[in-house]
Amino acid sequence: MAALRSRVSAYGLLLPGAFWLIVFFVVPLYFLGRLSLDTNELTYYKFNWHWQNYSDALSLYDTQFVRSFIYSGLATLICLLLAYPLAYAIAFKAGRWRHALLLAVVAPFFTTYLIRTISWVTILSAESPVVEVLEFLHIVNNGRLLATAPAVVAGLVYNYLPFMVLPIYASLERLDTRLMEAAKDLYANAATTFFKVTLPLSAPGVVAGTLLTFIPATGDYVNAEFLGGPGNQMIGNVIQSLYLKQQEYPAAAALSFVLMAIILVVVLIYIRFAGSEALMGEEGMAR
Amino acid sequence: MSERGTPSERSSEMTSARRKAVVSVGFALLALAAAILLAACGSGIEEPPAEAATGKGNEVEVEAKPSGDLTISNWPYYIDKQTVPDFEKATGVSVKYIEDVNSNEAFLAKMKPLLANGESGGRSLMVVTDWMARKMHELGYLQEFEPAAIPNFEKNLADNLRAASYDPGRDFAAPWQSGMTGLVVNTEKAPDVHTICDLFDPKYKGKVEMLNELRDTVPLVMKCEGVDVEHATEADWLKAIEKIKGAAESGQIRRFTGNDYTTDMSNGNAVAVIGWSGDAVQLQADNPNIEFRMPEEGCILWSDNMVIPVGAPNPTAAEAWINYVYDPVNQAQIEAFVNYVSPVEGTKEVLLKEEPEIANNKLIFPPPSFTKNCSIQPSPGTPKEEQKINQAFNAVLNG
Amino acid sequence: MSASASAPSRAWHWLREHAVLIIGVLVVIYLLVPIAVIFFFSFNNPSGRYNFTWVGFTLSHWENVFGIPELNEALWTSIKLALLATVISTVIGTMMALALVRHQFFGRRAANFLIVIPMATPEIVMGSSLLSFFLILGNPALGFNTLLIAHIMFCISFVVVVVRSRLIGFDRHLEEAAKDLGASPFTTFRLVTLPLIMPGIFGAAMLAFALSIDDFVISNFNSGTTVTFPLYIFGAFQRGVPVEVNCIAMILFGVTVLAMVATTLQQRRAEKMASVRPDQEEEIPIVVSTVGAA
Repeated sequence: MAALRSRVSAYGLLLPGAFWLIVFFVVPLYFLGRLSLDTNELTYYKFNWHWQNYSDALSLYDTQFVRSFIYSGLATLICLLLAYPLAYAIAFKAGRWRHALLLAVVAPFFTTYLIRTISWVTILSAESPVVEVLEFLHIVNNGRLLATAPAVVAGLVYNYLPFMVLPIYASLERLDTRLMEAAKDLYANAATTFFKVTLPLSAPGVVAGTLLTFIPATGDYVNAEFLGGPGNQMIGNVIQSLYLKQQEYPAAAALSFVLMAIILVVVLIYIRFAGSEALMGEEGMAR
Repeated sequence: MSERGTPSERSSEMTSARRKAVVSVGFALLALAAAILLAACGSGIEEPPAEAATGKGNEVEVEAKPSGDLTISNWPYYIDKQTVPDFEKATGVSVKYIEDVNSNEAFLAKMKPLLANGESGGRSLMVVTDWMARKMHELGYLQEFEPAAIPNFEKNLADNLRAASYDPGRDFAAPWQSGMTGLVVNTEKAPDVHTICDLFDPKYKGKVEMLNELRDTVPLVMKCEGVDVEHATEADWLKAIEKIKGAAESGQIRRFTGNDYTTDMSNGNAVAVIGWSGDAVQLQADNPNIEFRMPEEGCILWSDNMVIPVGAPNPTAAEAWINYVYDPVNQAQIEAFVNYVSPVEGTKEVLLKEEPEIANNKLIFPPPSFTKNCSIQPSPGTPKEEQKINQAFNAVLNG
Repeated sequence: MSASASAPSRAWHWLREHAVLIIGVLVVIYLLVPIAVIFFFSFNNPSGRYNFTWVGFTLSHWENVFGIPELNEALWTSIKLALLATVISTVIGTMMALALVRHQFFGRRAANFLIVIPMATPEIVMGSSLLSFFLILGNPALGFNTLLIAHIMFCISFVVVVVRSRLIGFDRHLEEAAKDLGASPFTTFRLVTLPLIMPGIFGAAMLAFALSIDDFVISNFNSGTTVTFPLYIFGAFQRGVPVEVNCIAMILFGVTVLAMVATTLQQRRAEKMASVRPDQEEEIPIVVSTVGAA
């Protein structure tokens, strides 16, 4: 009897949330698909199968698609290279400063996303000290840093770095340091310890961080909007323009669907390759 | 690795029959919810979207005296600080002035769901550029004026604006300000830029910007190609867009901007851009080397117009506003701040007395000799052409 | 080895030893620089409309922080929206978390999947699909209500994951003890469970609030003519972001930092009471939400 009540109460507790997610997440995706197959005259009440939207969208905007994946891939890689040492430092070398450092990592979240991107416009503008130093070092010529691809990638890196740091930190923090000591006892040097013990054990964190960075970065359009030029626009900018400027809803819907499909495929391949428990937290896992 | 819980929970077993019953109840509930929802949506989908109210014959009904609240949507930095309080004092109407029009297309996209349902989101007056005013009128989103309520407009509208192609009878669009699109250059860093074609000079690579407004940028480039823009064909438009595309891809054009080319000019990111005459006066205050230059090929002339949307809560007050700003004295106050081209006859005379340097400013009261090569802002011909040209241009903007 | 030869090699050695720490500190500085820039430029006195080059120091914008009516309206709309979305999504999300952790039932896997998928979907897809949804339903007035619906939707997943992680480490023995002492399930929940998971719920609520008040992409698609704080900034970028925006951003920043610190201290205290294993770092909700059971 208790178990029955348990089950009913489970469904009862679950229902509002499940209802909300199904109605306002799953169903809209269905409508997105439906809109993507509509013609430009928008006959909502008739189900068209206008697959041409997809081929048109893909042929017109393939450069932006490829570019988005390149930018977000680069940004993810750079984030990984920057985040891992930081997470490692916080987990193992920070001691008392651990909480302060974590707070510093999360601090950018506390400023509005747009404002922190706009502050990069200030930092990278032609007459700022940063650009003058870089000009002096001959890394940049002509003072041109904004409206370029590196600016967009740099913006992506900055905005998604905390997403990479925190999961890696979490999995490093749970690591049993005795394992690393044991490796040292067995005459492994620092590099071997890292590659054979630390890195594999922190793999779930790396996987989670990579996904958490890559997925939103691909669909991002704020960074390209503020920091990029006409040759740096990402697929997110195109979708936004189609919806909110040109009002070509079917094309925009088709692009959104393709974006989601591609990301899903990439994620599935990655998870299959890297291990499946990282993203889908298994139910009720008490340790 | 599933949660096992406490022994007391583990010990309670369920018979398979009961389990099946509960499961099917749960699913039935979910299915019912989904069915209800889809049925509700389904009925919504079966009907076509509501017919838009037609514009023709939408006439404002005139009440005795304006009163109540008036919400106006306008472009940013298009009014001085005194006019709204003065109007409120003169008429007793309480004005809510919002500057939420940043781009014609984005504004239409935002307003379309409302206007198609006959609502305006509280606005009684909006200011959009001429081609958008015509488009909105064709879609049936606007109301026509009651001439008796706006005598100042009928009397003082500048002659050259009376018979506009987008509103020949001046029934629904009253110009707020006119303006010129031309060159804005930094005379110190780009002294030789005198034509639109000069913008394609590799000397200024990466320091040139163009507007993201189709009907400003492309006609100017068409002028560089020697096309008569007021009779341009689709091929002319597309050819100019190709030229722009080449410049964008080669890095000649740094960005396509809206109002924000003024930042890039101020901080040196750009040295020569396509820009608007009104901004140049403001920019000069920041940096005296920046000035508006009339391109040798000529400029593009446009007007932003006041229109009254369907569903406007207080069209009477809106017309009172139009009437108020068409009084040369009030217009002079606006003009002294805004620095675009005034559509109101008699403003120059008022300003000659109070602020002569504004009255004699070529950019604000352009003599015909100044604008001799200028063209009225053109639009692509048919909707199909428009769509194609829009797509081509947006493809360039979006890289 | 002469002194001059060993000094560079000693320095190099020190560098290698502390390489990781040095990189870490550099990255942290990199993370904080834009915040410092925002802070400094809130004291700027720009001559034109744009706040991109330093002109001069002034306190006038701080004194007049709430002097721009449009900005205030947008801010107030954002706060209202975030409060409502937080409350509703926290309640719904906590309920879901309780169901998922405490009970075995058919469809648990599917429910888990349903919760994780929104977190893995790009915001632009969520925003555009919601817009399509509203468009096909016949153009309801996009505005505060549609925004609220959207915000609750994307907050639920995060709330569930945070509360769930908190529940997992929860010691059931305390509840059993209460039951043994004769308490009904409801009383047990009210007097034992709820207070002990409250820090987790509060953390989830804070996360939901932060997500909602900062949301731009989904709001941009579904706001119609309503203006939220991020939307105001986006619109203002074209014509000049007023300095007051920087000031308000710093105020929000300060408030959030204080709230975080307060929650952390509170959680530490609660941890001691609930005998949750002390090595679980839970003050960063995002961490646990992403790693889950890794």
